[in-house]
Amino acid sequence: MATSETNILNRLYFVAGCMFVFALAVVFKLCSIQFIHGDKYRAMAQKRTIKAFEIPANRGNIYSADGSLLAMSIPKYDIAIDAVTSSEKNFKKYIKPLCDSLAAFTGKSSNSFEQKIKKARKTKNQYLLLLRNLSYSDFIRVRNFPLFKLGAVRGGFVYNQTTKREHPMGGIAERSIGYERIDENNYATRVGIDGAFGKDYLRGENGKRLKQKIGNGEWKPLRDANEIEAKDGYDIYTTIDVNIQDIAHHSLLGQLEKYEADHGCVVVMDVKTGEIKAISNLGRGKSGKYYERLNYAVGESHEPGSTFKVMAMMAALEDKVIDTSTVVDTKNGRKMFYGRPINDSGEGHGKISAARALEVSSNIGLATIVDDNYSKTPEKFLKRLRDWKLDQKLGVAIIGEGQPVIPKPGDKIWSRNALPSMAYGYNMQLTPLQTLAFYNAIANNGQLIKPRFLRAVKEFDRPIEIFEKEVLVDKLCSNQTLSKIKEILKNIVVRGTGKKLYSETFSMAGKTGTARTDYANYEEWRKDPKYVSSFAGYFPAENPKYSCIVVIHKPSTEVGFYGADVSGPVFKRIAQKIYTDTPLVEEIQTVEFKNPKVVQDFEKFNSVSNTYKTIMPDLVGMPAMDAVAFLENMEVDVKVKLNGSGVVTAQSISKNIKLKPNQTIVLDAS
Amino acid sequence: MIASAHSADKKVYEISRLTNEAKELRSAFMDGRSKLMRLKMESTIEKKVAEKGLEISEVPPKKIRIKRQE
Repeated sequence: MATSETNILNRLYFVAGCMFVFALAVVFKLCSIQFIHGDKYRAMAQKRTIKAFEIPANRGNIYSADGSLLAMSIPKYDIAIDAVTSSEKNFKKYIKPLCDSLAAFTGKSSNSFEQKIKKARKTKNQYLLLLRNLSYSDFIRVRNFPLFKLGAVRGGFVYNQTTKREHPMGGIAERSIGYERIDENNYATRVGIDGAFGKDYLRGENGKRLKQKIGNGEWKPLRDANEIEAKDGYDIYTTIDVNIQDIAHHSLLGQLEKYEADHGCVVVMDVKTGEIKAISNLGRGKSGKYYERLNYAVGESHEPGSTFKVMAMMAALEDKVIDTSTVVDTKNGRKMFYGRPINDSGEGHGKISAARALEVSSNIGLATIVDDNYSKTPEKFLKRLRDWKLDQKLGVAIIGEGQPVIPKPGDKIWSRNALPSMAYGYNMQLTPLQTLAFYNAIANNGQLIKPRFLRAVKEFDRPIEIFEKEVLVDKLCSNQTLSKIKEILKNIVVRGTGKKLYSETFSMAGKTGTARTDYANYEEWRKDPKYVSSFAGYFPAENPKYSCIVVIHKPSTEVGFYGADVSGPVFKRIAQKIYTDTPLVEEIQTVEFKNPKVVQDFEKFNSVSNTYKTIMPDLVGMPAMDAVAFLENMEVDVKVKLNGSGVVTAQSISKNIKLKPNQTIVLDAS
Repeated sequence: MIASAHSADKKVYEISRLTNEAKELRSAFMDGRSKLMRLKMESTIEKKVAEKGLEISEVPPKKIRIKRQE
């Protein structure tokens, strides 16, 4: 069977050939992996075990002036459950105890948790959010709940850690302390101090580090060389005084609630340095509760109303077009200016002095003063306002400062009526902070200072930057004008529109303001009048320490709307608080008073205690208090029983008898 | 070589444990601090002592200072 032999050989060759080709293919693939695609695969292999980690920098803290924490970053946890991953057996066994634990933790019912989780298991939901914003200690507690204890794969415990900014003061000054939030589109929301100084100081720089996987979900740093160190953010020390802030917040809140107002703000400023000691902004939410909604004090530019009369008066006094004693005719509470009436509240004040016109806050009075003297030269009046920088932003650090509006001839809102309107704070706009800065300048002998929120930026104890006071205008006006204005401001509280606030124990000076708002449609406004009540001033009236402004928008007119009623009490409360917190110092010459009786008693006691150490002395006539002290300090341990108090009248052991240890001596005193 | 790699690994675990501890302490500190801040605020104290019939004084405290005689 020769044919069969070649057949076998042929088959053998065929198989061997195939194997050879196969071997070639293997070698080819090997080379291709090793040399052609080598780099790609090597990189891929490294990617699985080596990863670049971002090391987040800690955001700096924000402190108050006295070192209390105002904002700090801490980790917070959201907890969810993967309802699918756990086995049927485990799920059945632990679902009830888990829900009981969750119920005990949250105070919600266990049943609702059970239904939710069971539903999620049915619908194959792998991420059912259960709890949000837990602190680390709560997170640890929840992680040990039944089922969750089994971990991520067997128990379905899913968590998400985020770093949250916490304010230990809660809602107080929240808007001014602020925050910085950057969303997925890199769009940043910057609020308050935190927002304004986030980029420069607080944020720090994130680091980078290559790490290799080492199991157990941990990664170890690969090498030290090419990493970028994370740089923690700096700490910020603000000028906020926690105590004043607390009082400001709560007294503003009280007034807002009492008058059912829409919103309001209060700012307290240190006269000499321009430091903002307290800033509170409260607005009514949908539920009727008040919370820090917007930074009204910095951002809301509005018609200031009567608080602006002080500026108008000051301009007229400084230009010497009037004096405080110049007589102004305020008529009977109604006067026409270029075909438009201006009204005073009440029956009018007749002919009064210019100073009195400001004390009673007469619209007609101020409009007359300004119109009579500036109607032909409005530029002269406006230049004063410009010199006082009232037409410019203060340039405070907090983002979103409102733009003041001071119209000039040629502007859309300028007319012949513009000037008399401006005299009592209409047809123009200022923010509360801008008004406050001006009043502060009056208190600070005419020096206009920029309000500031920061004292220093520090890295631990090392100062990075110290903030000094910034002078905007060195002298607003002459000392004469200044003392006249100060006198009027003081009298406003003594006998003017602010007399309800007068207190005998402490002094303050300021101006009330009651401005109409939202009056574009006058008929609508008359049906439901809306006001802005304000009070701006400083205290004490002599040598002022703090200036303060309170602005409350849209109080319920049924309760009241006058500046002195609505905003004044907040001002007074703060002034009073600061007054009662500062001790009065009384100086005396000496405490060494020589009282002959005391000296005699002292010497008698001294001589007795030096002579009698173990022998009973004559104690009759000695004050009981001294007698007891004397006996207990003897060299023999004796017990003393005292009946009554005052001067010793009798002693159980007569004098000159040697005392024994543990002996009881009874003293009678009257 | 292997021993030092292992000891480095061990240190990594230790660091991660300590980081967690630091987190916990930071969070506990913040909890405590918040509570304290709220408790020590004058408005809170005012409410608390009002139950005992105490209220804020209308007049400030007096400090007596002795002028030193040289």
